[in-house]
Amino acid sequence: MEPISAHASARLRTRTRVVLGGLAVLFFGMSVLFFLNLWGRTGPQPAIPPVDLRFLDTSPWRRTYADLVKAREDLSDYDCYACHDKAKPPVLRFDSGHRLLVPQEHANIVMGHGSHDRNNLCYNCHNEPNLATLQVRDGRELGFDNIPPLCGSCHGPTYRDWEAGAHGRTGGYWDRSKGAATRLSCANCHNPHSPRIPAREPAPGPHALRTAGPPPLPGGLLR
Amino acid sequence: MNASPSNSSDKTSDAAMSRRSFLRGAAAFGGLTALAASLAPLLKLHEFTSTEEFLQKYYKEMTPDDMARVLRRITAEVEREYGVRPHVRDLKPMDGVEFIYALNLTRCIGCRKCVHACVAENNPSLNPEIQYIRVLKMPHGSMDVEKGDHTYADKEVPEKGFFYMPVQCQQCKNPPCVKVCPVNATWQEKDGITVIDYDWCIGCRYCEAACPYWARRFNFTKPEIPKDRLNPDMAYLGNRPRKQGVMEKCHFCIQRTRVGRYPACLEACPVGARKFGNILDPESEVSYILREKRVFIQLKEEMGTSPRFFYYFDK
Amino acid sequence: MIAATRNYLVFLRRCARIAFVGDWRYYAWMGGLTVVCLLGLNAYAKQLVDGLAVTGMSDEVSWGVYIANFTFLVGVAAAAVMMVIPVYIYDNDELHDLVIFGELLAVAAILMCLAFVTVDLGRPDRFWHLIPGLGQMNFPRSMLSWDVIVLNGYLVLNVHICGYLLYCRYRDRRPAKWFYIPFVFTAIVWAVSIHTVTAFLYVGLGGRPFWNASIVGPRFLASAFTAGPAIIILALQIIRRYTHYRITDKALLTLRGIVQVSMIINVFLLVCEVFKEFYSGTTHGASARYLFVGLHGYHALVPWIWTAVGFNLVAMVILVMPVSRSLRWLDLACVLSITGIWIEKGMGLVIPGFVPTPLGAFVEYLPSLNETLVCLGIWAFGLLAYTVFLRMAVPILQGRLARTNEHLPEIQGDEPEVPVSR
Repeated sequence: MEPISAHASARLRTRTRVVLGGLAVLFFGMSVLFFLNLWGRTGPQPAIPPVDLRFLDTSPWRRTYADLVKAREDLSDYDCYACHDKAKPPVLRFDSGHRLLVPQEHANIVMGHGSHDRNNLCYNCHNEPNLATLQVRDGRELGFDNIPPLCGSCHGPTYRDWEAGAHGRTGGYWDRSKGAATRLSCANCHNPHSPRIPAREPAPGPHALRTAGPPPLPGGLLR
Repeated sequence: MNASPSNSSDKTSDAAMSRRSFLRGAAAFGGLTALAASLAPLLKLHEFTSTEEFLQKYYKEMTPDDMARVLRRITAEVEREYGVRPHVRDLKPMDGVEFIYALNLTRCIGCRKCVHACVAENNPSLNPEIQYIRVLKMPHGSMDVEKGDHTYADKEVPEKGFFYMPVQCQQCKNPPCVKVCPVNATWQEKDGITVIDYDWCIGCRYCEAACPYWARRFNFTKPEIPKDRLNPDMAYLGNRPRKQGVMEKCHFCIQRTRVGRYPACLEACPVGARKFGNILDPESEVSYILREKRVFIQLKEEMGTSPRFFYYFDK
Repeated sequence: MIAATRNYLVFLRRCARIAFVGDWRYYAWMGGLTVVCLLGLNAYAKQLVDGLAVTGMSDEVSWGVYIANFTFLVGVAAAAVMMVIPVYIYDNDELHDLVIFGELLAVAAILMCLAFVTVDLGRPDRFWHLIPGLGQMNFPRSMLSWDVIVLNGYLVLNVHICGYLLYCRYRDRRPAKWFYIPFVFTAIVWAVSIHTVTAFLYVGLGGRPFWNASIVGPRFLASAFTAGPAIIILALQIIRRYTHYRITDKALLTLRGIVQVSMIINVFLLVCEVFKEFYSGTTHGASARYLFVGLHGYHALVPWIWTAVGFNLVAMVILVMPVSRSLRWLDLACVLSITGIWIEKGMGLVIPGFVPTPLGAFVEYLPSLNETLVCLGIWAFGLLAYTVFLRMAVPILQGRLARTNEHLPEIQGDEPEVPVSR
């Protein structure tokens, strides 16, 4: 390659000067832009409210007679002989389809213990001669504060699990040497007249950090 | 070598040199200014790390004095940040204890109370949201998690035809996360809990990629914990507030379980689907369950992780 | 001793000085790269303040473009050294000096890799936790600890080889064979190891069936040895054009041979992978289904992977045909290969491993503006570094920058370049 002409050399030098000058201007301009912080800011995240306190409540669904006794509350609901006559046990009435008719004084009781109405008979559990107690069919009488043996007389496996602490919530201390475990009674969760646990509103679901992509198919992700 | 210039440019070459040097200097100075300006956002970097935290030793190498100092630092930081004086302890594992968690899939109704009880207990970030427990709504007949729905918003649970499966850290006996951590920031303690030293983690998220149960969470930004929801009863390896850029996960409520209490998720479960205890104690509920129940599922058993989490059915 | 140190410092000073001089095209190129670098640095500063929430990553997709680029560049770094094989093993003198260009590319690529890993960390200030002795390095169980060791070792190896050879050329001395030949052969083996270790990062994770496959390692190497030499082919042509350094077409065609064979193997391994994922129909193929055909309404990656496959196939066809001996067609094949393999390693490997999550959730990933700026900044930094290395190496190899002309006026950069006989 021959040495280039002076003219071309000058052109090169001008170009160099232009580029260097341009770069200097560009850099100073960028400095200003950096301070102005015009891009790359994380947008405001949608505020996620803390969960409603009702979903943090760990008290049992129901209060049993034993709970009321412990809390020294009004036990008049369990005073059967305030209305009934000790000498005359209440007579059960059935409709034409042999379904139990719950008297309107006890209208809050909805019978639903067992499918096909198989257990909808008050005296399966209640003690006809002494309404203040419950009876197990083998002759034992139980107070309202000690119902698990009654439930367990039919629900054996569940009763066994409950005794071991495996059915129903066992809270408090797993290390019994450090503190007591809190146990619940059957009626803390199950309504004896209609024991199936009713469906309830769930707590809110998770909020994902990113929502890129299309929304999921409705009804879950079944293939 | 320089090409030999003509005579006229000989005279201008000195001027040209100085012009060029000036411009080169100007461009270089401009570059340095732009370099400094590009770092302008760092002016907002208030408390990335203190010197003490930066130089803090690895947990397993700390003496009791070191730990006492660290706990004082953490107490001061939490008090400054949240206005609540916490009680931070370093709880050691108990002897003769190995924890097992059993979850009764017949009973779980998918109410998600465990999820939120865990949040209330363990001080994770609310926004962006970190929750250690994820409840999957699974259709009857399948354990394929791809069929699970994470975001179900049913009016009422449980829905017929589905079962609900909460998933959290399985505290595996053979944990892949521990294997892959490059700095040993996560390890398994002798009572079975896989713990994280939040002040040692470098935030590479390799453990998050390695976990087959998607149990680990990362603090993508500064965690936001509402002051009135802060749980002041804390443990170093447990629920003390974490910082931006570190991993966290379920630790079996170490601040509760190592003093003999049940974890928060279990206390919240209204149907008693969750069972926890010491498998080395034959009288515990979990020993009873593992003895008496028949079908157990360890999630993704084929991974060889040997989880301490057993899903089982009553019927 | 003192004289030797003084000589070396003068050498370093002259090298450093020459990096800042050049003609207008050099200033424009370096200036432009600096601008992009600074944009990236600014974006990273924002990331340090606000955390990785400024990226598009999430707990579901916890690795993104940072690790994707890291993976690609480890391959480039490994392959850059593969040119060493024909030279030292087959005694091909044509390529002798070009080995240095390859190793300098490896150094630049490794610097980029280290940068990408650093910007991906949640707590980069805690990097010292990785230093064995000072911190806690989980070696040998953690593959990431292996990666840290092999990458830094590779960097040191290449810096030594290049530095020594260039300094000897500067001093017009014959380099002592024992001081660089063993390192060269070590580098050849080490190159394979860095990419294998990086592959094992993914392969070792049983919880991600898309990655937990034996083909990942061989595929990494095949694609690296396609993309790496392809980059070198392009780089050498640029060097030839802008510095009049003598590079024969024969050198380029030797590299073409490497790219050709590697691309064929890469495509074959792709076929193997696709068969394995789709034929048996197991649930472990969910990620592959998401990648290639979309799943449950999520299909963001589908156009990308098919573009990559298309590019690779076209490149392979061009490469096997004799027409690719013509540089225009070769360049096209190289560009297609590099792009196709970059997409494959990024969108085609890293992201699908996270979709669906191990619990079957689908969250897609899109890099944010900040994340993209950081990536561009690191790429610009790498190009900047490589240009600086070449700006120093080429005059040394041409003899224009040598001990013998220390006393002469320094090169200004915009004087017309006259090719000097060596």
